[in-house]
Amino acid sequence: MLIDAMGIILADNGRVKLGELNDERALAATPFGGRYRIIDFMLSSMVNSGIKHIGILAETKYSSLMDHLGTGSHWDLDRLQQGLRIIPPYMQSDFFRSPSPQDLNGLYDFLKHSVQMHVVVAESNIISNINFTEFVKEHEASGADVTVMYNHDADTLGSPNVSLTFEDNKLVDLLIDPLNLTSDCSSLGAVVLTRSLLMDMLTQAISRSEVLFNTEFILEKYKELTIRGFENNDMTLRVNSLATYFSASMRLLESNILQKLFKAENRIYTKVKNESPARYLKGNHVSNSLISDGCDILGNVEDSVIFRGVKVGKHSKISNCIIMQDTVIRDGAELKNVIIDKDSVIRSGVRLQGSPDYPVVIRKGVIV
Amino acid sequence: MPKQQMIAMILAGGQGSRLGVLTEYIAKPAVPFGSKYRIIDFALSNCTNSGIETVGVLTQYSPLELNSYIGNGYSWDLDRNLGGLSILPPYQSLEGSDWYKGTANSIYQNITFIDNHNPDYVLVLSGDHIYKQDYRQMLRAHIEAKAAATIAVREVPWEEASRFGIMNTDEEGNILEFEEKPANPKSNLASMGVYIFTWKTLRAHLIADENNPDSRNDFGQNIIPAMLADRETMLAFTFDGYWKDVGTIFSLWEANMDLLDRPQEINLQDAMWRIYSRSTLQPSHYIGENASIIDSILTDGVEVYGNVKHSIISSGAVVEEGAEIKDSILMPGAVVKKGCKIDKCIIGIDTIIGENVEVGVTVKDGRADFVNKKFCSDGITVFGSGLVIADNVKIMANSMFFPVDEGQTSDVILESTVLGII
Repeated sequence: MLIDAMGIILADNGRVKLGELNDERALAATPFGGRYRIIDFMLSSMVNSGIKHIGILAETKYSSLMDHLGTGSHWDLDRLQQGLRIIPPYMQSDFFRSPSPQDLNGLYDFLKHSVQMHVVVAESNIISNINFTEFVKEHEASGADVTVMYNHDADTLGSPNVSLTFEDNKLVDLLIDPLNLTSDCSSLGAVVLTRSLLMDMLTQAISRSEVLFNTEFILEKYKELTIRGFENNDMTLRVNSLATYFSASMRLLESNILQKLFKAENRIYTKVKNESPARYLKGNHVSNSLISDGCDILGNVEDSVIFRGVKVGKHSKISNCIIMQDTVIRDGAELKNVIIDKDSVIRSGVRLQGSPDYPVVIRKGVIV
Repeated sequence: MPKQQMIAMILAGGQGSRLGVLTEYIAKPAVPFGSKYRIIDFALSNCTNSGIETVGVLTQYSPLELNSYIGNGYSWDLDRNLGGLSILPPYQSLEGSDWYKGTANSIYQNITFIDNHNPDYVLVLSGDHIYKQDYRQMLRAHIEAKAAATIAVREVPWEEASRFGIMNTDEEGNILEFEEKPANPKSNLASMGVYIFTWKTLRAHLIADENNPDSRNDFGQNIIPAMLADRETMLAFTFDGYWKDVGTIFSLWEANMDLLDRPQEINLQDAMWRIYSRSTLQPSHYIGENASIIDSILTDGVEVYGNVKHSIISSGAVVEEGAEIKDSILMPGAVVKKGCKIDKCIIGIDTIIGENVEVGVTVKDGRADFVNKKFCSDGITVFGSGLVIADNVKIMANSMFFPVDEGQTSDVILESTVLGII
């Protein structure tokens, strides 16, 4: 079914930062799963649900995000009308300087010039292959002002957890990181409301100099508005801290998660790099790992996620690691529970070991 | 439209009949190659990397898969407002309609297309060769020599020269004579099927050739000899890089194996000369707990739980636990089930090989009723696309498996679906 909705994806969430991985890039642009950035999941989910007019509200450090998104062509969002629009902060006028790190005026203008009835507003840090069609349909049918997507998945919560309490399926309380869970409903960071209501909310926020726009900003209005819940049963991984980023990455090695995320009818799109196929050369031993195009594997890799273009040298040992794009692991290096950002070099004989709960992170472009 | 210096015309209409079942439903240029490519990716990527922005792809035989693979040329940066990629099938006109009768006739029928772009030079290519070539160097030589035609040639071993179209040249590389498969070759410079023509000259020759009822309308057999007879300046341009015609089952298998044995020759990792392909929208490939992979290349979406040795595994293919794959090519979506022993096989798109199937030169007491000496040689066995092979069968090498016709049954091929559209 064709739904009458546009999308807004929030490139950052004021409460979430994945350590050094976000030193130089927005949350949405964090590499994930061998060949993706975390925004690919929400973006592909929207496109696959027929949402083809999508604004990305960028906050800071959006250079790598813009490089990744380009014209939106990899998501089929390079359209004659509408399609993808990145909304970075910029000074709207000399008279009005937004106190927000986001550009709420820019967002308001984007909404004003759109034509869709509904807006799906989503955080970027949910890894899932979601279909929004039912979500929007049920929102329309229920007559609610706002509908929020949630699930009962308490295992992978991490912090921050936006806990929702419903009475008669109406939101009556919202707690962030409660000490004692009073509800087993946790927000999935996606809400739907009419474009006109969102524009009203933004007008007020701008005139009151409110500074932060995210899904909680909308949900906090539960006393004035009718906010209903929509339970989602899709396989979902939340990425809201370095620890949950690491564990979500490792869960991709579970066969059912890999199948549900990537081999369903709806595919996850990402920027195409045209790397050559991965080469497995003499002396390699690989077990329970995701490996990407452009890799040369000569060493030992187990329980790891290896991104595109990584070189793994002879007699090296990589265990429970995430190795990002174009990093070089020289002969004999040993790594365990380590996240290595892009373009780094680990020299021969270097040994690094973190804990599975607290992995060592090597920043982008570093030579160790 | 603004004038273009050179446009490319890619001949992609031939059947490739020597590939047997592999080209039964799809044109040869669309046959999967090298784990993540289709054969035509090389010609298209060479054009893009050489700065050519207008490319016509001439299609005729089974074009559905090829058309949907190429699309609007986006994957090769050929989706352009001006020029870009055009698929050129035969068409009906007021004068009637005709299939492309030969390579030259296919260009003749598209004279208007070329005229619309108003190029000085036209590059004519085959869509079924594996090589990386910068056509700009060849164009420079063509312009400097003020040639009417420049033909890319490569030195072949003298003993093989009688299998090729051979150019006899003077010291400056001017072509004096062209001989198709000569019994006693005078030169070992073989044509690669890559031609640059000065458009004005070629245009006149195409029209003259079309008016000759005895002509077979072929570049090698008719146009080149006619241009030589007219004393046009014809230049041989020597290319010394890797080049392979993948016209037979053996040469297709061998060219794939070259990626493993001589990777530096075609160097797919060269960031300055990428070979582009259409994305399959698959995740990184997964290697299971007990897998072993050696001397092989793999791409997105592959899952390996068994043993893979010296093989090419294409996107979305699955090798189950305990299966052993050696010297083989798995095309996209192929599945090899538990306990199989697969030796020197080409397994077509989405074909499923049942459990404990054994194929290869070491099988002595296997089924011989699928042996096919017309297409297969050197112990290579080929499974077509969309087949389901029964469990526990043993198969002799040099076999070829075609889909069974509707209503027919086979104890080896349990199911066959006509595939073709990606």
